Amino acid sequence: MIERYNPFLHEFPAEMSKEFQLFLIIAQSFFQPFSLLDNLLVIMTALTAGHGVGFNRAMLFLADGQKLKGEFWLGPASPEDAESIWRVLSTPGIGYAEIIEHNRSLLNGGADTLTQRVKQLVYPLYQEHPLVPALAISSRELLLIKDAWNEPLLDPRLLEMIHTDEFLCIPLLSGQEVLGEIILDNAITRAPIKSRDVELASICGLIAGNYIYTSRLQKRIIDMKKVAAMGEMAMFVTHQLRNPLVTIGGFADQLLDPKTGPKKRKRNLQIIRSEIRRLEKTLLQLTQFLRVDVREKSTIDIREMLNLVLEAVRPRLDSQKLTLDMEIEAGLRAVLCDPIHTGEAVRNVVDNAIDAVENGGKIYVRAYRESSDWAVVAVEDTGPGIPESVKNKIFESFVSTKEKGMGLGLAYVKRVMDACGGRIEIKSTEGRGTTFKLYFRAEPRK
Amino acid sequence: MKKKVLIVEDEKNLCLLYKEELTEAGYKVTAVMDADAALKQMRTRRFDLIITDIRMPKKNGIELITQIMALRKDIPIIINTAYQSYKHDFMTWAADAYIVKSSSLDDLKAKIKELIG
Repeated sequence: MIERYNPFLHEFPAEMSKEFQLFLIIAQSFFQPFSLLDNLLVIMTALTAGHGVGFNRAMLFLADGQKLKGEFWLGPASPEDAESIWRVLSTPGIGYAEIIEHNRSLLNGGADTLTQRVKQLVYPLYQEHPLVPALAISSRELLLIKDAWNEPLLDPRLLEMIHTDEFLCIPLLSGQEVLGEIILDNAITRAPIKSRDVELASICGLIAGNYIYTSRLQKRIIDMKKVAAMGEMAMFVTHQLRNPLVTIGGFADQLLDPKTGPKKRKRNLQIIRSEIRRLEKTLLQLTQFLRVDVREKSTIDIREMLNLVLEAVRPRLDSQKLTLDMEIEAGLRAVLCDPIHTGEAVRNVVDNAIDAVENGGKIYVRAYRESSDWAVVAVEDTGPGIPESVKNKIFESFVSTKEKGMGLGLAYVKRVMDACGGRIEIKSTEGRGTTFKLYFRAEPRK
Repeated sequence: MKKKVLIVEDEKNLCLLYKEELTEAGYKVTAVMDADAALKQMRTRRFDLIITDIRMPKKNGIELITQIMALRKDIPIIINTAYQSYKHDFMTWAADAYIVKSSSLDDLKAKIKELIG
């Protein structure tokens, strides 16, 4: 027997302990497409919301280069403010999602005076005699400050701002790296901070530190990939631009030579013009490739789209005396994708098929329903097929089997399909042809 | 007697430009558009210098150089390419010179003069 459980709980059973709820909320938030600050907001909310650890207020500092900077401060600004906030938050039916949303709107709304205040606090990360809050970072310890007004190791600006005699500083660390700090207090309720609260807050600090570290690592990897891709692209573009430019420059130099006769002049001008057109085409392809940015998917009728593609490639088919068989399943539902790029992407695949059979062969385009969620457009050719060595990287940019190919066509198709939540698959046997299958998400039944 | 130069360049118009400019400079020029055609020429004729591109369809310039070395070790080779970055590639060291393509052919002509006069 197999019992199944959804790892994402939307409602917590009443008997679930507050500690367990706290960790579930934090763990689940990491699966959301939230930004780093949004996820930190979830942790801070969990630390301050009634059912969480239950601190009144939470202040976040993040390390930025050699400085520790105040980011935001969550919680009520005064006892009156607390009363109204907590009344709203304890309304029946209000869950964590609503509380997080409430906190987010507080931070983004501009009326959040606590955050405005904490943003003024900036400390050097490394100094000889650090005061709290920097002290928690240099000592790499949790500091529970009691009788704050008589503590000489406190920064007076922080004390003036926080205005309470007991608070907890949690350094956010990962390995040797300093990432930030959270300061928690109970300035409104004046409830003492117990050792159990310190323990729970300490675990939250470890999770937050680890999360910041992973997010920054992820960003670094993305940046590195971008730089690598840009390098690859720059190299390719250099090649694509340099050859026509050298040709244009060389033949233009000949034009400047008075010995060049009228016949050669005319020929040179024709060459220059054709190379300029080639440059324009290269730029157009690059722009098209870089512009894929699908924000909103629309409903597209596959039959209509395929007919437009067929119309566009018809002159090529006719001039090369090629036949293209098209078969569209009756009653095929509309698909969800980008209206501008999708037709262009399908046309790219059909154009490739035409290139593949230029020395004779057939092209088949079929559209059918694969399952209730997916519709497929399959483009098959009986051309020479794609070598095994190229097949694995055929969707990478600047990979081409064609002598003069830019290697952007299929990379563009893949970007469009990915952006629309679809996918593209290839099946090819050398000497026997190639089939590309484009999977589109079918429009949900109404 | 005119020195014989073999140019391997897959861009038709560049091929024509090099052929005209180097002929004008006093060389007897043969231009081909791929590595196999170059090797075919090498087997039947004796050239004084070879100028080759790197990125070419079917067989690239590096593969061509390896095969030329097997046929004639002493022939000077100039790599003429749009890519700056291959310059540090170990395999390109087998060539006598590496020149990045430019609309001014002065560097190329100067290098040819230096190698074969």
